[in-house]
Amino acid sequence: MSTLLSMEDLTGGYGEADILRSVSLHVDDREIVVIVGPNGAGKSTAMKAVFGLLKVRGGRTVFDGDDITGWSPNKIVQRGICYVPQVDNIFREMSIQENLEMGAFLKKGDLSAAYDRVYELFPDLKERRRTLAGSLSGGQRQMVAMGRALMLDPKLLLLDEPTAGLSPRYMEQIFQISRDVRDTGVAILLVEQHAKQALAFADRGYVLAAGQNRHEGTGADLLANREIAEMFLGG
Amino acid sequence: MGFLELVNFYIIPGIVLGSIYALGAVGITLIFAILRYAHLAHGDLATLGAFVAFAVVTGIGVSPYAALPVAIVATALVAVGIDKVFYEHLRERPKIITVIASLGIALMVRAVVQVIWGVDSESYVRGISRPDVYFGLRIRDREIYTVLAMLALVGALYVFLSRSKWGKAMRAMSDNPNLALLSGIDNKTVIVLTWVIAGGLCAAAGVFLGINTELKSMMGWQMLLPMFAAAILGGVGRVEGAVLGGLIVGLAEELSVLILPSEYKAATAFVILLFMLLVRPTGILRGKVL
Repeated sequence: MSTLLSMEDLTGGYGEADILRSVSLHVDDREIVVIVGPNGAGKSTAMKAVFGLLKVRGGRTVFDGDDITGWSPNKIVQRGICYVPQVDNIFREMSIQENLEMGAFLKKGDLSAAYDRVYELFPDLKERRRTLAGSLSGGQRQMVAMGRALMLDPKLLLLDEPTAGLSPRYMEQIFQISRDVRDTGVAILLVEQHAKQALAFADRGYVLAAGQNRHEGTGADLLANREIAEMFLGG
Repeated sequence: MGFLELVNFYIIPGIVLGSIYALGAVGITLIFAILRYAHLAHGDLATLGAFVAFAVVTGIGVSPYAALPVAIVATALVAVGIDKVFYEHLRERPKIITVIASLGIALMVRAVVQVIWGVDSESYVRGISRPDVYFGLRIRDREIYTVLAMLALVGALYVFLSRSKWGKAMRAMSDNPNLALLSGIDNKTVIVLTWVIAGGLCAAAGVFLGINTELKSMMGWQMLLPMFAAAILGGVGRVEGAVLGGLIVGLAEELSVLILPSEYKAATAFVILLFMLLVRPTGILRGKVL
């Protein structure tokens, strides 16, 4: 497997203060990688750094052979990385189909293949494609958000806490869909609060704390680590 | 007073005035929704549009309806130009700065109109227009054209927003600007489109106000409050709401004369605005709260 994304010693933040301090991580082709860590560890910030939403003061990000450090989000989208924010990740007053259409805004020509692909992953959405996205349940909204991001056929999908606020049933469903998405050839980097479930489901994981790398390894290894268990389960 | 008098002297003028307010309110609501500020120069842009049409009418001797497209295009271009020269530089600053800047633009536009066309009242056509009588209803041709033109322009806008790729992009930008940017929607183009549409509709409001009343350099400024009341009444960001709001405000102003001295006609819009902001700030059709 070849490396798709690698973040090397990245340092930066939103303003003057550094939130990330020399964070390194990588995602291989067709891999699901999860970032976990306590609140304020810089998990979401690390993800936003990939997407060009951060002031980077050191290190670099390489994606698929290109150094994308300092690129605009717009350019990064076109290069093949799509990002699903944690909140406000749908167009509420637009139908499901229109949400997907906006996701493919940069795509020229016929969209029917892209619609088919997304509706195949999310059959529930196809039946309700004329429904306003804002009227859907939390889990279905998350599906719309992921569907919107998949319309451009990204090579890497960034998911910021996709299961936040969802019931355990929907959490399982989102994880299952993420596997299905991966099986279509898309690598996934996600941030999760539900560390135990996420580590059990991901191929590999990173534990961040205070803006720095703390641990990395396969999900199972990390789950077996006592220090990590204490960090998340309070001993 | 009989029913026919009520309709002839209050309802019909109310609907006509409401249609004119609606044309302006739609632009206000779009600017509110996409750019997120109250555009106080909206009324004076309408004045400019009305006088551009006046220049065409007096210059080449055509009817104001024939001059309307010229006024729409010219005002749309002026609106885009004002945005490029002034508002664009304030985009990243707090919105209140742009609101106050737009007040300055309003004064500048009005001053230009006064320098070029003077401060006296003008009209497109001289003479009295007599209403035709349809089943006891007294309706002037210009009143029919005003309402029909409003419905046609707003209808075309509605189709554009719901069917075309860029129309949907405008709705997306209004709905969730961050996500629109993450989706690669070019906000510069959306902003230019917004000004083209708002400026064009503004000119139409001004021209139809001029056709139904007279042209004065303060005509647009005096429409500003009712247009804002209409936009907020209908729900900010809702095009169909702005039309509904415009008609309600227009009717309320005309009907207020039945119970209040006519000097208070202009205050009606203010009362509606205050009442809505206190009781239901999202408007009738649930728009945004800003």
